[in-house]
Amino acid sequence: MVEIVFLTPFITGLVAFFLPKIIGRFLLVLTGAAHLTLSFMLWRDQPQAIFDQYFAVTPEGMLSLLVISLLFFLISIYTVGFLKESQIKSEGLFTGAMLVFLATMTMVTLSDHIMVMWIAIEATTLASAPLINTHRSTASLEATWKYVLICSVGIAMALLGSVLVAFSMGQANVGTPISFSALAGVAKTLDPVWLKAGFVFILVGYGTKMGLAPMHTWLPDAHSEAPSPASALLSGVLLNCAFLGIFKTNKIMVAAGLEDFSGGILMVFGLLSILAAATFILKQNEYKRMLAYSSIENMGIIAFGTGVGGLGVYGAVICMLHHSLIKSSLFLSSGNILLGYGDRLIKNTGNLVNGMPRTFVAFFAGFIGIAGFPPFGLFIGELCIIVAAFKAGFHLAVTVFILSLCVIFAGFANQIMKISFEECNTVIKIQEKASMVWPQYLLLLTSLVLCFFIPDSLNQTISDAVTAIGGGLR
Amino acid sequence: MMFNPVDIILSFVLLSVLFSFGTDRVLILIKLLGFQGVVISIIPFFIGHDMSTGGTVFTLATLVIRGFIIPLSIFVAIRKGAIRRVVEPIVGYHASILCGLAVIIGATYISGRLDFGSVSGFKLLEPTAIALLVTGMFLLMARRNAIAMVIGYIMMENGIYLVGSGLSVGTRHIVEFGILLDVLAGVMIMAVILRNIKQTFDDVDTALLRTLKD
Repeated sequence: MVEIVFLTPFITGLVAFFLPKIIGRFLLVLTGAAHLTLSFMLWRDQPQAIFDQYFAVTPEGMLSLLVISLLFFLISIYTVGFLKESQIKSEGLFTGAMLVFLATMTMVTLSDHIMVMWIAIEATTLASAPLINTHRSTASLEATWKYVLICSVGIAMALLGSVLVAFSMGQANVGTPISFSALAGVAKTLDPVWLKAGFVFILVGYGTKMGLAPMHTWLPDAHSEAPSPASALLSGVLLNCAFLGIFKTNKIMVAAGLEDFSGGILMVFGLLSILAAATFILKQNEYKRMLAYSSIENMGIIAFGTGVGGLGVYGAVICMLHHSLIKSSLFLSSGNILLGYGDRLIKNTGNLVNGMPRTFVAFFAGFIGIAGFPPFGLFIGELCIIVAAFKAGFHLAVTVFILSLCVIFAGFANQIMKISFEECNTVIKIQEKASMVWPQYLLLLTSLVLCFFIPDSLNQTISDAVTAIGGGLR
Repeated sequence: MMFNPVDIILSFVLLSVLFSFGTDRVLILIKLLGFQGVVISIIPFFIGHDMSTGGTVFTLATLVIRGFIIPLSIFVAIRKGAIRRVVEPIVGYHASILCGLAVIIGATYISGRLDFGSVSGFKLLEPTAIALLVTGMFLLMARRNAIAMVIGYIMMENGIYLVGSGLSVGTRHIVEFGILLDVLAGVMIMAVILRNIKQTFDDVDTALLRTLKD
């Protein structure tokens, strides 16, 4: 019963639209817990789907699903505390949309059919649009408009790409289902010209959703205007879902022997994203936008690593896991800061270390993690990518890569120091409750533990996912 | 030279493409959208797959959604919001019509060059699909009116649908219907946002939506 994993949150989500506040919050956490349990059962049993033309359990999908599930559970606990502190007018809409959003993202991770994948990714856009417009301000309306329009148009490109990939099957493969696994199996018989064209459109389409430059323009607006738990979900897992679409298409490309073509394009988009982030992060004056640009940077790193191939793919997957864990914790902490100081501008915050000490620990540790320092896992991932790029001989690209990371670190560190230590006389408006700091601690702790010790079963899933596109610990 | 009914109705779609470049009224754009929706939905009837009962039902449902429900939902958003009904061009109307001509010629040229290997044998299918796609993008880029942008998005989507149906990609009806439902839900959400924009700013000029930037 693969389908039950996304049907559960979908149904509870629809119910939650009509429930009173308290029950809705309870249902949110309960569904998070149920979803986590179901995901682990799915991982353990690897069952066959009922509609096996459309859905399948794949290693890369399973990895994303585990991340989504764990993150959603912890974020739902945080959300309960967050909702008590913040005045959100229509809470039923918020919790309902959160749950439906979870359902659509789960569907992305489990879909195997190329068109069902598209349907699921477009559905994530629609389910998350109400989340961004939660505050009903003019700015959030603008962010929602940009998000829905830019992402829908972008994803329409991916639909065209999917049609072209299907078209590449030609007359030779009439009976083959249009699923990623079947296409990878018959990749050698696909028409390379149409396949290449399809890949480019899919990369541009899902790349828009993933936040790759220059299609990233919606991302900082949406992430800064959404309430923090929603930003954490958007950044932590939604971007991964879009990446999954690209990753699976790349699998077909590799199987067809076109990895040089797809890898080159992925590297270019990756580097562009890192450069764009480096340009904008330096002069950023809002901390949530700064975190959003850091997400663009990390998506760039992941795309770059996937493009490099070999050890780089392994690094990219590691980066994806740890970016989700660390960045969502940072967004949750930024929610505390926003509630405490009542302002998004960096210049109106400061002295976090004394004002909100427990949030400070999570925020600062998150910063160290996202900057790529040990003992957090991004360090290993980035190191793998850099080593792989040097081995493959991309000297110029990797130089740009490293320099940009340095610039981003400098800009990021500068702002974080201001928020943490600079003089500030604002009176903190909220108490730091346990439910609003422990989820961050747990997320960071998971990243920390996974850096030193990866369980064999998880390691197996990771290596299954990366060997499919020619990667591995080589 | 033989003409078949599909090429004849598709030539009307090409004319409507040209018309949508030149019009300054949102209402006319919506009507054109409905017309295009109806035409591209009935194409599968002519392509000559064996039409089962299920297939016929799905095609008719597509026709109702693309031809009537989607245009109507935008129309309702306009009516209720009493949104100003000119499209506020960034590129002028005369230049737009010239662009439209260039698009149609370009689309015909490109589809002649590309080997689509189309099973349908209709001459105008690929040119019309490409022209619809590019027209949608043009409306998205060259009009500041938010409604015209949404209409552009739907035209793009129509074009992609036509590419898919013309190339007889052979997806199942249930999948195609899922895609259509996604598009429909997307348009509904955009219509809601349009109304909110109208209520908040008293206008649908997207120049007002430029406060968030770096």
